[in-house]
Amino acid sequence: MMFFRKKDKTVFEGGGLILFHVVEEAITAEKILKANRYEAKLVAPPPHLRKGCDLALEINLVEKAGVERLLSEKGAYYLEILPIKGVGELLDVVQIKYFDSACMVKAGNMKLTFDTQTGVIVNISGGGCPDIPFLHVNMLDKKITEVTRPREKGFTLCALMLDRAFVEALDIWNRGGN
Amino acid sequence: MLLVCGTIPREDLSIITGDARFDGEKLFIEDREILCTQGTAALISAACVTAQHFKSAPPRVILAGDTGRGKNSHALYDYLAENISRINPHVLLMHYILPVMGLMKKVHAAALKCREKPVLMADASSMYAAKAAGLGSQFDVFTPDMSEIAFLADPDAIHPAYISRHLFNTDTSRTPDLIATAWQQKSAAKILIVKGSTDYIVENGKIICTVSEPDIPALEAIGGTGDTISGMTGAMIDAGLPHPEAAIAAARTNRRAGEAIGATPATKIRSIIGAIPQALNAY
Repeated sequence: MMFFRKKDKTVFEGGGLILFHVVEEAITAEKILKANRYEAKLVAPPPHLRKGCDLALEINLVEKAGVERLLSEKGAYYLEILPIKGVGELLDVVQIKYFDSACMVKAGNMKLTFDTQTGVIVNISGGGCPDIPFLHVNMLDKKITEVTRPREKGFTLCALMLDRAFVEALDIWNRGGN
Repeated sequence: MLLVCGTIPREDLSIITGDARFDGEKLFIEDREILCTQGTAALISAACVTAQHFKSAPPRVILAGDTGRGKNSHALYDYLAENISRINPHVLLMHYILPVMGLMKKVHAAALKCREKPVLMADASSMYAAKAAGLGSQFDVFTPDMSEIAFLADPDAIHPAYISRHLFNTDTSRTPDLIATAWQQKSAAKILIVKGSTDYIVENGKIICTVSEPDIPALEAIGGTGDTISGMTGAMIDAGLPHPEAAIAAARTNRRAGEAIGATPATKIRSIIGAIPQALNAY
């Protein structure tokens, strides 16, 4: 059974801002995002975040990975993408835990576990955004050197955290698995 | 009725609805087979076997196919907002859906129009959306892990990827402080199941129970072991168990299911789900 999306009348609150050098870049980015079904709203950035021009684009911060990739593919320029509130940097705490024949790498809310003998990804856990089950299915039971980076296929902040775990895990594997 | 709403990693589906059935290996929504993997499919499968144990109705589901692009997550929010009062579930459990604050508010407002307010549960990204939208205290059950309780305790974060570094700490002895902070900030639901090497069961901001046995460290690595706790809790509440009792039973049953099959970091979630009936029988 098919259901079609009705026009959304809710007030858009995205929690993220794209900052630009000049106004024209902001207008171009808005067109690109809207043409690709992303919600986006031109706003004045709050004074504490202002860099470059006086126009910013509010986006759903959770969609940062997909937005960054799309703007890059389209050759659109921007300064950076930031949360409107709170810390401006993605969490960079990575933790490592060894089991008998496996290594689990945790980056924020995401965990990737690979077999230290074969390099095969045996599990991915944590997170909550809808691209994680998709990445899980695509990466599971494959060798860590033979899968696409999560940030190249994912769309959300969970995918970016999984990417951090993946990069660390790949580094551990390339150094001999421990 | 337990109503589970979430997404599955398929591009070819918009929205499907129906009763769920898990045959021990495979998950079906009506006659359609859904891959039983980490995420909402694991949650539904765990809810199915739990409902069967308690001889209650199978979970009803509303699923959207979404690989992260968000289009069908938006459609799912809209469908829920338009239909939730007609469906009138006993328990509404929201799971992997792209977090959109405005749409979560819309669904919450619609849920309040049900003949009787449903028990509101959220896990994964629906918990992120509820907290970010300022609705945490309006929910009955959240099931965060250790990083997500830090997210609930951060007043500004709208996703666990942007929590303050000082809150994200490897020192689990600080977990009770994070629980208290999340409650004071009205970011926590009435019941929390904080999943970790020790599970904390929390009611109205107070830790009422901890579960740490059997100790199965491999469960943390297995994708879906948090989803199974949420699914079991939802099914137990729907079966009539008091919310704290359901939370404790789900946390213990998950560990016992892992113990029963000798879980390793390479174990797949469907094996854990297959052992839940045995673990429930022994409970």
